[in-house]
This record gives sequence, C-alpha cells and structure tokens, in this order.
Amino acid sequence: MLDKMLYNTILSQTLSPCGKYLVAGNIYGQIAVFDLDNIFNPVVELLTSDYNKPKQIHTLESGSQVCSLITTNKFLVVGTVNQISGWDWKAVGHSKLGKPSWTIEIRPQVQFENCDINCLWCSEDEEKLYAGCGDNIIYVFNLEDGRVIHTYEGHSDFVHCVHGNGQQLISSGEDGLVLLWDRRTKKSHNKIVPHSNSKVQRPDIGKWVGAAALDNDWIVCGGGPRLSLWHLRSLDVVTVFDIPDKGIHVSLFHDDCVFAGGVSKQLYQLSYAGDVRVELPVSATTVYSALLATQPRKVLSIAGSSPEIDLCTTFNYRDQVLHFR
Amino acid sequence: MGKDDLSTKKRRKLTTQTSNDAKLLPGDVYKRVVEFEESEAQIRSADKDACLFKKLCQDVRQIFSDVAELKAKGTDEAIEKITAKKIEASLILVALKKLNRLEKVRTRAGRDALHKEKQRVDSTHLLLQNLLYEADHLDKEVTKCLQFKSKDEEIELVPIKDFYRDAPAEISRPDITKTDEHQQQLARLEWELRQRRELAGVCSELVASKERVAAAIAAARSRLDALGPHLKDVLKATKPLQECLALRLDEKRAETQAAALLPPPLFLLYANAGAYSDVLGAKNVTVAISGDEDEARRQEQVTNEESDVVLSNDSDSDLDNIDEDLRDSKKKRHHRTAKISKEEKAEAKKKEVLKMHPLNVHVTVKNSDETSLNLVFSYMIHLKIVVVKFIMNVSKPVTGVSAADVLTGDCVLTELYIGDTGSDSPHPATAYLLNAAGISEPFSHFISEIGKPYIWAQRMCGLDFMTIVSGENKSNMNIQPCQSLSVTSVENFIFTLKKRLKARVELMKELQDLESGKIVPSKGFSCSLKLSGSLTQWQSITWHEYSQAPSTAHFISENLVTEANMLYRAIVTRQSAKLVALVAVCSDYPKKAPLFSLTMHWNGTHNALTNDDIRDIERVINTDWDPSAKVPCTLSSQIMKLLTCLDVLLESMGSPEFPPDKVMLQSVRGRNRMKPYKFLKQGAGVFVQY
Repeated sequence: MLDKMLYNTILSQTLSPCGKYLVAGNIYGQIAVFDLDNIFNPVVELLTSDYNKPKQIHTLESGSQVCSLITTNKFLVVGTVNQISGWDWKAVGHSKLGKPSWTIEIRPQVQFENCDINCLWCSEDEEKLYAGCGDNIIYVFNLEDGRVIHTYEGHSDFVHCVHGNGQQLISSGEDGLVLLWDRRTKKSHNKIVPHSNSKVQRPDIGKWVGAAALDNDWIVCGGGPRLSLWHLRSLDVVTVFDIPDKGIHVSLFHDDCVFAGGVSKQLYQLSYAGDVRVELPVSATTVYSALLATQPRKVLSIAGSSPEIDLCTTFNYRDQVLHFR
Repeated sequence: MGKDDLSTKKRRKLTTQTSNDAKLLPGDVYKRVVEFEESEAQIRSADKDACLFKKLCQDVRQIFSDVAELKAKGTDEAIEKITAKKIEASLILVALKKLNRLEKVRTRAGRDALHKEKQRVDSTHLLLQNLLYEADHLDKEVTKCLQFKSKDEEIELVPIKDFYRDAPAEISRPDITKTDEHQQQLARLEWELRQRRELAGVCSELVASKERVAAAIAAARSRLDALGPHLKDVLKATKPLQECLALRLDEKRAETQAAALLPPPLFLLYANAGAYSDVLGAKNVTVAISGDEDEARRQEQVTNEESDVVLSNDSDSDLDNIDEDLRDSKKKRHHRTAKISKEEKAEAKKKEVLKMHPLNVHVTVKNSDETSLNLVFSYMIHLKIVVVKFIMNVSKPVTGVSAADVLTGDCVLTELYIGDTGSDSPHPATAYLLNAAGISEPFSHFISEIGKPYIWAQRMCGLDFMTIVSGENKSNMNIQPCQSLSVTSVENFIFTLKKRLKARVELMKELQDLESGKIVPSKGFSCSLKLSGSLTQWQSITWHEYSQAPSTAHFISENLVTEANMLYRAIVTRQSAKLVALVAVCSDYPKKAPLFSLTMHWNGTHNALTNDDIRDIERVINTDWDPSAKVPCTLSSQIMKLLTCLDVLLESMGSPEFPPDKVMLQSVRGRNRMKPYKFLKQGAGVFVQY
C-alpha cells in the first residue's frame, strides 16, 4: 500500500504567539510543528536535506481529522471531532506531546452523528472561544473555565466558517446561508443568501458557503456561489469577483485587499473593485487554509489538499515549500 | 789648413788607384774595380766612413758659403779664389761618390747574409714539425694498447675467495698467483673451464634418465588404455540387467560425466538444484544438462594447459587469454584467407568475448497446475558471469491479451528480488573487459541475444559480486564460486519463483475475468452489493501512454511507478459519467497493491491534481486498506471499491441523473466536504466519511 501521506490534506494552520512555530493539522489526526526560525534563517553549517520537513509530527487521534487550530496567548487550541483541546505552547515544541492542558467535549444529540469542530475563532480580549460545528450550532465557550456560555443556532447544515469583528459575528454554512450575529444580543439579526442571487450563484458547484469574513464596512464570502463583496449595512452585493475557481474555501481581508483561495491553482489578492492584484501559485489542489500574520513575523502560509505548504514572506511570490510528510 | 791636407792626400790616393786600373782591359778593369771595392768595403769600417762622409759634406757647405761671400765682394781676387774653391769642391764630390758606392756594396752584402740566415731557420722549423707529429702518433698507439680488452673479462668467474678454497692447488698455485695478478686470472679461467665441463656432463646424464622415466610412463599408460575396452565390455554386459531392473544408472552416469565438464559456477548450480529436485521431487523441480560435450572436453584441455597462467595471475590474465585466443584464431584464418576485412575481425573479437561455455544447465520449476518455467543457465567464459534464458510453459491456453502478457517469462522474472532487473552485468569488470576487446556497445546491448544476467542467477551459481564492489581488495578479481551462497540462494530462488508463479497464475485469471468484464472480489471483502457502474474496458497500455496522462505525473515524479510495472487502463461507466483508471501493477503483486490513477469525465475532466473528490477516491483505493482485515488487496477488490466510490460520489452530487440508493449518514462532511466512501456493515450497510 502507498504511504497515505502522499494524499495528505491540511485543513488548518496556526502560528505560535512567539512566531517561531508554524503548526498544521491534517485529516489523519496529526499536527506537524515546523520551526520557522530554522526555515527562514537557516544556519548553513547545520542545514540538512529535511530542513523543510516538520520538526515534530504528533498524532492526536487517528481516525478523525484535525479540523481547526487557533492560538491564544498561552495555548494551542485544537479542534478535532467532538472535542476541543488546549496544549500549553511550551509543550508543543517538545518531541513528545503529553496530555492536553484542558479539553472540552461536545456531545452530539444523535447517535452515530459526530460533531466536527470546523472552525474556531477567538474574541480579541481572549475571553470567549467561538466554535462553528458539524451539528449546525456555533458554541461560545468561556476560556477561563470551558463552560458553554451561549449557543448560536440558526444554520440548518454544518457550519463552515466563523469570523468576528467588534460586536459583530459572521458565520457561513453548508446550507448556503451567511448569518450575521450580534454578540450583545446573541441573536442573528441579518442574513444573506448568496445562492439565491443570480449574479453570484453557481448551481453546478453547490450552494454551500465555504468562507466568509467581516470588515468594518464589508463582508466577503464565497463557496459554491462566486466570491463576492457585500456592503455590511445595505447587504447588497457590490462586487462579484471574476476568478476561475471551482469553489471558495478561504477568504479574508488584509490591507484593503481580499485574499481568497479554494478549488484553484492560485491564491488571489483582489482589490475591492474586483481587480486581481496578485495571483500566487499554490501546491495544493484545493486551498483549505491560508494563515496570514504580520505580527510577530510577516508570513503568509497556504495549505490544502497536498503534503506541501507554501510560505510567502512578501505575499507576492512563493518563497519556500514545506513538506508535511 | 789641416782639412785641406787631408783632402789632398785622399785625392792622390784615389787618383793613383784609378790610374793603375786604367791600364788594364775595360772588362777586367771593371771586374777588378768591383772586387777591389768589395774588399775595400769589407775592410773599411762603415762607421768611420759615415764620419768621413759627414765631414766632407760639411766641407762642401763651407766652400759654398765662402764662394757666396766672395761673389758678394765681386773683386778679381775673389774670382780667383772662387776658381780655386771650385776645384776643391769638385774633388770633395769625387770622394763623396766613392763613399756612396762603398755604402751600396755593404748594403748588398748585408742583405745576402740575412737571406741565408732565414733559409736556415725555415729548414730547422720543418724538422721540428716532423718530430712533433711523430711523437703524437706514438702517443696514440700507446693509449690504444692500454685500452685493449680481453675476452676473459666477460666471463663471470668464481669469486677469488671461493676459488682459493675450492680449486686444487695445482690449478690455483697460490704461491705464484697471489703475487702475480695475471697468473691468477689465468688460473681462475682454467678452473672455470674445468667446472663447466663437469656440469655439462651431469646435465646430459640427467636428460638421459628423464627419457628413461618417460618411456616407463608411456608403457604404463598404454597398459591402462588397453584396460578401457575391457571395462566397456563389462558395462555392456550389465545393460540387460539394468533394463531388467529399470535402473537409470547409465543416464545418470552420462549426466555426471557431463557435470564434470561444467564450469565451476554451473557445476555448483547443477549440484544444488539437483539436490533440491531430489528432495522436492521431479514434479516441482527438474535439472538437466545440455550442450556439446565434445566441445566442452576440448575446451577443458585447453584451459588445463593454460591453467598455470590463469591461476597465478590476476584478472589481467583473462584478458591475455582472450587476446591469445584472438591471436590464435587470427593466425589460423590467416592461413586460409590472406585478407580479412576489419568488420569480420571485429565480429570475431566480439564473438570471442561473448563466448559461452558449450554446456548449459536447464532448471525447470513447475507449479501444481502444470505451469512451468524452464530456465537455461549459461556461463560466459570470458566475462565470468551467468546469463539466463527462459521459456514459459502454460498448461491451458490463456484467453485475453493483457492476461497472456502477465505470464511471459520476461514478465514473470522482472524484479523477482528488489532492484534485480537483469538489464546490466552485475560484474564490475564487464565494462572494462568489453572495452579492452574493442567493443563500444554497453553490455545491455547484447542481453536480448545472450540472455539476462540476473543477480539471483549469479548467486545461485555461488558468484557474489557485491563483495568485490564493497571490498577494498580490488586486485583479487578472480571470483571463486562460494558453496554456501549457492546453497542458500538456490533454495530461496526456487521458493520465491514458485510463489511468484502462483501469484502470476492468479493474476492471469483475475485479468482474464476483468477483460471479459467480470469482477470477482476475494472472499471476505465487504461492500455494498448493488453497484450501478460497470467495468466496460480493460486493456494493457504502454509506458508512453501511461506517462503522457496528466493524472500520473505525481506517481512518476515520486518514482512509485516505473517502466518495469505492468500498466493497464480500466474504464468504468455509469450513464454519462466515465471514469478512466490507469492501473500500475507491480511485479511483486499481490505483495504490493496496484496503484490507481483516476480521471473522471463528467461535467468536465477531473483528476486528482484538479479535483479533491477524485483525490479522495484515489486515497481510498491506493492507501486505505485495513491490514487487520487479513484480506489480500487484490486487483478485483480494488476495482470493486472503485465502483463503490464512484457510486457514492455521483449519488452525493445531488444530480437528478444519479438517484441516491445508498444509505449515507451525511452526504458531505467537514470543511473539505468529504463524501462518505467508507462502508460500515451495520444493518443494510451504511456509508460514512471516517
């Protein structure tokens, strides 16, 4: 049999608070720790041929995917199936990953059904952890004690993406809805339905919305429907981006630009008007994760259905390729 | 005045002389005058004459000045005096003339004397030259004599110490020779002569005794030869008995005789494989020898003659042998045809280098269902490697094109052991030997003609080239066949080959089924029974076709599929959807599972590099095999799985063309929107993601 790592798919990535480690999680329930210091500033004398391989590969639980990863100041938070666990960052770099510092179990109501932690988002004050899950619910946890504070229920299929800005929260799901929530009232106060908009819809790909992101004035979302920019207050579609993709899985705002990727051989940087600024070629067949950080180090790391992770320090071209295998 | 007196005296004298002469005949007078003046010139001193001459000149000058004075006076008296003075001056002039003549005579006499002296010096000088030349010549003669060498100096003589010790006193004569070097030399020469004569005598004696012994040996041999026919008669007499008792003694004997002629590596193979054939029975393994025995016998004689050289020298001797052989053959041909074209020469050289031992060993490995593989092992005399040719015997005729290919001998033996393709010589020296024989082609060029040099074949014959490659002792290139290596290799090979044969027969049956569109999964394989897709095509494809497909690029770049694999194309269809699977079956199948590379034609063309769904299916088929299930991953099972996955994918798309009839808990799950390819046997069977 072939080595399954040839078909490795990376669903999530995160950067340690110190910026030294890049952590990536794959569908085989493994997380790989890359030492970025060594990759960007290698000591030439100590450089080995496997410098672009992970420093460590930890197997958390075989048979379930590592669906999401997020960093708080102290912890690496890993969302797998039915479970969110936190590891102290100090332990992550070690050769053996011990027990997690804390775990939160999510029990699905129906038997046989499992609950994937598809997306994690942490509020700016790091008090609350938002988890978009496979049982159509967004859970809000208190990071101090791990209790469920609220549940946001409104999606009719699993949640793909959760993102917040100020007091607003946005979520998108397989049901094709993009919901806007008020964090104070805990209620969904608005929604957009991209697949019912004739300019945006793509029935042959599906109605699911794989990614949505929030800015002060704008919403960007896409999935089965085209990648599109919506005005936050009027909820009108402003720009429909014309890019040759077959599904969007990643979209985010940065510096007056929209970054988007998915079933496409490129990661796009687009202006709000719809012009393509940069086309970054990627190794993955489908991009599932684009990690963009400016602090503590400027890096854009793109991963997806490939054992390779593309690293860009300037956001303009591919600098390095890491191998998760 | 005194001056005047003297001049007068002189004048008188002179006049007297002239007056005496005047009386004689004019000729005589002249002669006499000359003689007289000559004698006078000798008598008179030249110096005195010179003084006189000066004085006379002075007088003349005086007179001239007096005359000038007197003329100035112009008196008569003065005129008179002038006349007197004139006379006086004339007289002085006569005296001057006389002096002049005398001087002339003297000068001539001096010249004559000088001339005479010069001639004398010349002759003396000539004499001196002659003498010097003679001396030089004599010197040369002397050195010639000194450089003369005698013949005796070239003879190596017994050292002086030994000479005095060994030689009898009448020859050495120490009393004389110790002092006289010449005599000593003569004595030593004499001693040398005597010794040499003695040794020559001994030599001739020994030659004679050798001849006597040779004659004795010849006599003994002829007696032994005479014994041969008798023994043959005895053997002939036993034949009826053998036939009666059904013993195969004769055949065995003949084969053993032939075995003795085998080169050592093949002999080892014969012996060990023969032993296995005895143990496992002729049903499994048989061994035989074939080839020209007479030729082998002749060759053995030749090698025996040369064996000293071969044994004592290292690998270079091999080359020498080749060269010698070549030279011999060239010479022979030279007698027959005067000119040989260059091409023919090269051809002969090539043939010589690639020459095989005339005897081969046949090993036949049989399977239970009468499928057998006949291997012919030959030994290359000069290259010192074993090459194998093979013939496959199939019990039943195989239907189907791709199925038949699986059982060709070439294919069965591919990579029997990992990395052993048999496409180049395992002997590190081969390339060098070929080069030395002037053959520019690499060894692999000849493989189709002579057979494949598999490493297992070398090991079965006890040849292990690995040790040479790794060992530092490069000089020891003469490989001695290793007994123990052959024993273990033969056993290993027979069982490996039997296993491979069995696997191939099974694969052949599987392929036959697939080609006719049937899919028979191995027992215990769990899958949903209702499959809507069908296998519509199964055929073998070339490496070119495989490598051109875009979906196979990642396999080729990762070196997972090479040209050695068996390649097929399977087409699965369900309504408008068409799935093309390029299948690479490893020669180690079923140890290593076949690799599938998928391309789907539905709603566009998709493969693993452009579509995650196809990638997921490939992952399921190529990697997800539960080792605990203990079900071997066969080709049919994999195709079964492929059909299931295709159904799941198409039905989960939600297209009205493919109504869902499989039970799926979630048709799509997770951010990666994975389809439920995993089958769980719960109730009627459920499909889940993982």
